[in-house]
Amino acid sequence: MTTLTLQATPQKSIPGDLAMWFFILAELLVFGVLFICYGITRFADPALFNAGQTHLHAGQAAWNTLFLITGSGTAVLAAHAIARLQYRQGSIFLVATFASGVLFVVNKLMEFASYLGQGYTLSTDNFWMFYLFLTFFHFLHVILGMVIIAAVWIKLQQGHYRNGQTAGVETATSYWHMVDLVWIVLFPLVYLIR
Amino acid sequence: MKYQSQAVAKPYFIAAIGLFIGQILFGLIMGLQYLWGDFLFPAIPFNVARMVHTNLLIVWLLFGFMGAAYYMIPEEAERELYSPKLAKLMFWVFLVAGALTVVSYLAVPYATLAKWSGNGLVATMGREFLEQPLYTKVGIVVVALVFLFNISMTLLAGRKTSISLVMILGLWGLAVFFLFSFYNPNNLVKDKYYWWWVVHLWVEGVWELILGAMLAFVLVKITGVDREVIEKWLYVIIAMTLITGIIGTGHHYFWIGTPAYWQWWGSIFSALEPIPFFMMTVFAFNMVNRRRREHPNKAATLWALGTGVMSFLGAGVWGFLHTLAPVNYYTHGSQITAAHGHMAFYGAYVMVVITMISYAMPLLRGREANSNRAQVLEMWSFWLMTIAMVFITLFLTAAGILQVWLQRISATPMSFMDTQDQLRLFYWLREFSGVIFAVGLVLYVISFFIKERKTANA
Amino acid sequence: MSGSFTKATARNIFYGGAAFFFLLFLALTFDSQQALPKRDNSQNLTPQVIRGKYLWETNDCIGCHTLLGEGAYFAPELGNVYKRRGPDFIKAWIKAQPTGTPGRRQMPNFHFNDQELDDLVQFFKYTNGINTNNWPPNIQG
Repeated sequence: MTTLTLQATPQKSIPGDLAMWFFILAELLVFGVLFICYGITRFADPALFNAGQTHLHAGQAAWNTLFLITGSGTAVLAAHAIARLQYRQGSIFLVATFASGVLFVVNKLMEFASYLGQGYTLSTDNFWMFYLFLTFFHFLHVILGMVIIAAVWIKLQQGHYRNGQTAGVETATSYWHMVDLVWIVLFPLVYLIR
Repeated sequence: MKYQSQAVAKPYFIAAIGLFIGQILFGLIMGLQYLWGDFLFPAIPFNVARMVHTNLLIVWLLFGFMGAAYYMIPEEAERELYSPKLAKLMFWVFLVAGALTVVSYLAVPYATLAKWSGNGLVATMGREFLEQPLYTKVGIVVVALVFLFNISMTLLAGRKTSISLVMILGLWGLAVFFLFSFYNPNNLVKDKYYWWWVVHLWVEGVWELILGAMLAFVLVKITGVDREVIEKWLYVIIAMTLITGIIGTGHHYFWIGTPAYWQWWGSIFSALEPIPFFMMTVFAFNMVNRRRREHPNKAATLWALGTGVMSFLGAGVWGFLHTLAPVNYYTHGSQITAAHGHMAFYGAYVMVVITMISYAMPLLRGREANSNRAQVLEMWSFWLMTIAMVFITLFLTAAGILQVWLQRISATPMSFMDTQDQLRLFYWLREFSGVIFAVGLVLYVISFFIKERKTANA
Repeated sequence: MSGSFTKATARNIFYGGAAFFFLLFLALTFDSQQALPKRDNSQNLTPQVIRGKYLWETNDCIGCHTLLGEGAYFAPELGNVYKRRGPDFIKAWIKAQPTGTPGRRQMPNFHFNDQELDDLVQFFKYTNGINTNNWPPNIQG
């Protein structure tokens, strides 16, 4: 289902644009370093982090996991459809991915509003500093992912992907997967692991 | 030189080199003041010498950037400059304003200058690197705007290449962020916070776009590698520069009253700042290795490669050395900072301007490259200046480590001045290296006047 | 190497990345501004302190000294000089300059009157009260 081997790219190569893969590696590096810093700080003061985590809305965040994974799935379906020259279907799947992003963003904003309403800020303590920065940083990535998906959708309407030239779609899908992947690590790391 | 109007770059380059000489002269004076504290006192107190040293650096680099833009943009846009007359006029305005500023630094006490120049109305003076009186700051803005108007009009009417777009974006950014130099709140923390929006977002932000564009331009010309390849790398490098460098501003927000979380974000993102510099080094060597032609200007190639290596060492490695908050806690505001500042400015900005001058000046003087003798001398000056700068950096680093140890780490911390007395050996060695640097600079200047031997052609 | 590495993608990453991180920087700046009043000692920003800051600037003190570690490295750190030396020593010291000791670093005499000296001292007192996350490591600066 989530395989990226598309019929339009018979030669053995990575999907999408190489420049985007440099970028994705750089992003993963940044998130990796951030996660390690989180882990070290948590290790130094587990009581503070455990206490902070009890205030988080894990259920709400679980819904967000579902939204992002759904978005990943529809993004793959979109790439497949466009590779098969089924542009209408591809267009619908792209809209679905974008919509899943909207759901994530709305849900996340409500969650942020709840924490800020309770007076938590970056300067509250180490837990809230890491929690707010990591999730806000990721939140911005989701928005960027939506911008990219929207750009691909517009290009699709303009007829840029004729004859299975799917590099742009694959590039966008790869980026969305990266954002999804980071969340799948981030979610248990800050919400669940005690 | 393909377009007549590119010739306006020439006076800019000459002025840049002239002010460079002045900068080094005052550097040597300050080096001596580190050894004999009362040298030239009270005629030229240290703070005045330092102001002249750093301001001359900024002004001559700006001359270099503007000259580079006037040379590059017409060639990239494939049309004459919008207004060569305006460019010539702005040259004289900027030169006279710059010279007047330096003379006023030297001639009258700074407080008097502040009074005369209306600092009481809009207080902007007396902050590091932004010491210029109000009229000079306004002058810089006017010159920058006219200059940007001139090259933007040229570009709008002509071919828009990635190199010229990046160059112009960097120059616009330079002008926009300079506007923060007019914001000087009474609150010292806010003052310092936005002061860095000029200083950091210049040298670790928009200036790197200018640096990248200038290097890419010269590499296109001397290697003959496909423009597409070079421009692709340019985009990737400057993307990484801004991705790491903007939040990297946080490494200046550790100890100035800003929230503690900057220690995390500043450390993490600035730890990644060497990546774009490393890519720049790889890029420069890669392009030269893949060259499709043998350009007769060997000296320019050497400067281009030198820029890649030295900016990585100075900005990348020496920056990383003290950028992590737990390290910076001890090294902040020590000679280690000075060491990094020297090699980073030389390796990145001084060298890229000289790269451009080295490539463009022979063309502006009507030949593809200088005579072999002139190039050999220029390469000597390259090695002398570069090696001297490496040693200046090493000696200042040694002085810094000793300083940090004696003054901040040891169980019985010494006072600042007692510590300074212990560093004299390194200050001597630094001054000696500085003299070598000056010799290299003299050779560099001489290399412009070496003529081809008539008989050599036979 | 994949054949697909286009300039357009590289360009988009540059514009997108730059905009993205600049927005993040603005967000962090906004948060910093909100957090500053608890740390920046601005409640003690009296007219006297403001006059002192003006004197600090218009005599280019930063050209030799550091203040919270920023400036020149030729003369001592003054962010904590209020704690290190106390008000009376500071005033006496500034008045006594230059020492004229041969070979030693010299500080000019700035001809401050008593009110100006008090203004400067108040500026140092205010600066000393800024929460710098415990920098400098010790009293020597």
